[in-house]
Amino acid sequence: MVQKQVKKQADPSPRLEVDIGAVRLRNPVMTASGTFAYGVEFAHLMDLDAIGGIVVKGISMKPIKGNPPPRIWETSSGMLNAIGWQNIGAVEFVTAKLPALRKYRTNIVVNIVGFELDDYLEVARFLNDCPGIAALELNISCPNVKKGGFHFNKDPRDAHAVTAQTKKVCTRLPLWVKLSPNVTDICEFARACEEAGADALSVINTLVGMAIDVERRRPRLKYVTGGLSGPAIKPVALRMVWQACRAVKIPVIGVGGIATTEDALEFLIAGARAIQVGTANFYNPAASQRIAAGLADYCRTRGIGDINDIIGSLRT
Amino acid sequence: MLDRRIKVREIRDLGGGNHLLTMNSPEQARLVQPGQFMMLKCAAGLNDNPLLRRPFSVFDVDRTPGAGRPRGLVLLIKEVGAGSRMLAALKPGQAIDVLGPQGRPFEIAPATQGLVSAACLVAGGVGIAALYLLAQRLLQNGVAPVLFYGGRTAADLVLREYFERLGLETHYTTEDASVGEAGLVTSPLERFLRSRIRAGVRAYACGPWAMMKAAHDLAVRYNVPCEVSLEARMGCSLGACMGCVIRAFGDDGEEQYLRVCLDGPIMDSRRVDWDTPPV
Repeated sequence: MVQKQVKKQADPSPRLEVDIGAVRLRNPVMTASGTFAYGVEFAHLMDLDAIGGIVVKGISMKPIKGNPPPRIWETSSGMLNAIGWQNIGAVEFVTAKLPALRKYRTNIVVNIVGFELDDYLEVARFLNDCPGIAALELNISCPNVKKGGFHFNKDPRDAHAVTAQTKKVCTRLPLWVKLSPNVTDICEFARACEEAGADALSVINTLVGMAIDVERRRPRLKYVTGGLSGPAIKPVALRMVWQACRAVKIPVIGVGGIATTEDALEFLIAGARAIQVGTANFYNPAASQRIAAGLADYCRTRGIGDINDIIGSLRT
Repeated sequence: MLDRRIKVREIRDLGGGNHLLTMNSPEQARLVQPGQFMMLKCAAGLNDNPLLRRPFSVFDVDRTPGAGRPRGLVLLIKEVGAGSRMLAALKPGQAIDVLGPQGRPFEIAPATQGLVSAACLVAGGVGIAALYLLAQRLLQNGVAPVLFYGGRTAADLVLREYFERLGLETHYTTEDASVGEAGLVTSPLERFLRSRIRAGVRAYACGPWAMMKAAHDLAVRYNVPCEVSLEARMGCSLGACMGCVIRAFGDDGEEQYLRVCLDGPIMDSRRVDWDTPPV
């Protein structure tokens, strides 16, 4: 009897589940590709099951060695990186990393990379048959790889083509597409990918930037330019997410400089169905778990029963 | 590895922009192996600038008087940039976020089997930070370490009294001859390797790239195993950012980029591609 009374008095837990197409997330918080390794590396620093999903480091079919160092440079409220897709390859990922990762109840999303269209198709086809993966995230927006053929983020028609072709081989898995902010009009690309059959969009990848050592008159990065990430890019990301949300009907996932609960809320209010925490994982390994807890607190203290009620609730 | 918000017990100015920082953290102190490092958030808040944490070797484990139980971490901080300047300005009682201990430690297993008769500790400047715990462990294992310690000037040879207190044979060099012999630390090291029986001798080096490369070259010439403590600009220390790589040779001899945070910071010097400095 006493217990019943206590239960009645306590605030009900807010519903935090969101749906990215067919993928149901426990809450709208995920980790961004390239900032969370293969997930298991963080298992001793946070509860991986406390977040909605993990997007693992970009995977290619064959291992990639990556760019020569120096690869990173810290800037005001952000960092530049030019890693160059260094990764262990799809086979090694599936045999050495996925079995441990699969034991968690969170969603595993695999970011896929490639130099040519066929590279994407090969790795997508391979991963499509692997159990334990919730979705693929097509990375057509990395600024740190010199490509021979396609420039998928230069022309919406190329973005359409690679999305449509990859979608064809993803017979079992939803396909998310991660867009580049290094374009004049993000809406063109968002619409092109939606038309091509993308199930969701991750907006945005890093902004191309640069830093110079004035004593040596050399670039801080060996690759000269790199991708800018961290809180410095959050306003740009937020603006692009807001624009993309108004351009398409498929879910948009907000990425770019999210480090706190308030950051995450801004993206949700702007219309993002979910968010990804990136660079913050580097200096605050449990950032995503803390943000997920913060979202629950926000809803509870404001009497919001379902987080979906705040998504896209921006008053302009 | 643990992520903890821990308090400064003491901070001591060593001169020349060097500071010895003692932090209270029994849990982390108990885990530390010689050669490992900690990631220090230099600013007070996790989201304050500079954003990225900075790696520092654990110089020593602070112990309770009497019982000798681990109670804290002793770190050598040299002021080189915005982050280290903030650390140097810390006051006792202030707290910062510290992650670790991290990374591959020195290999000292063979010593316990009596295979190592002498150990050459080769330090350049603040590279000394990686070698004090190692010296203590080697002594416990019955191995006599010999210290080769070089710098530009006397003020660079910080904390040498710690090694002298352990009773180590020491060789100091400075480029301006203010302490020890004039020149580079590799000169006395080479004399040592040339003059003594080298069976069972190992070398451990930490310092500037050029110094470690020279130590490696001597180790190869005199057929002495050599481990180095590598330094790199680091993003996360968790193997996630892939930012701290150096060019190295894998087990198959193939060139690859290895992460200093996970594959190092301690690495067999023969794995490192010394012709490609990381900066």
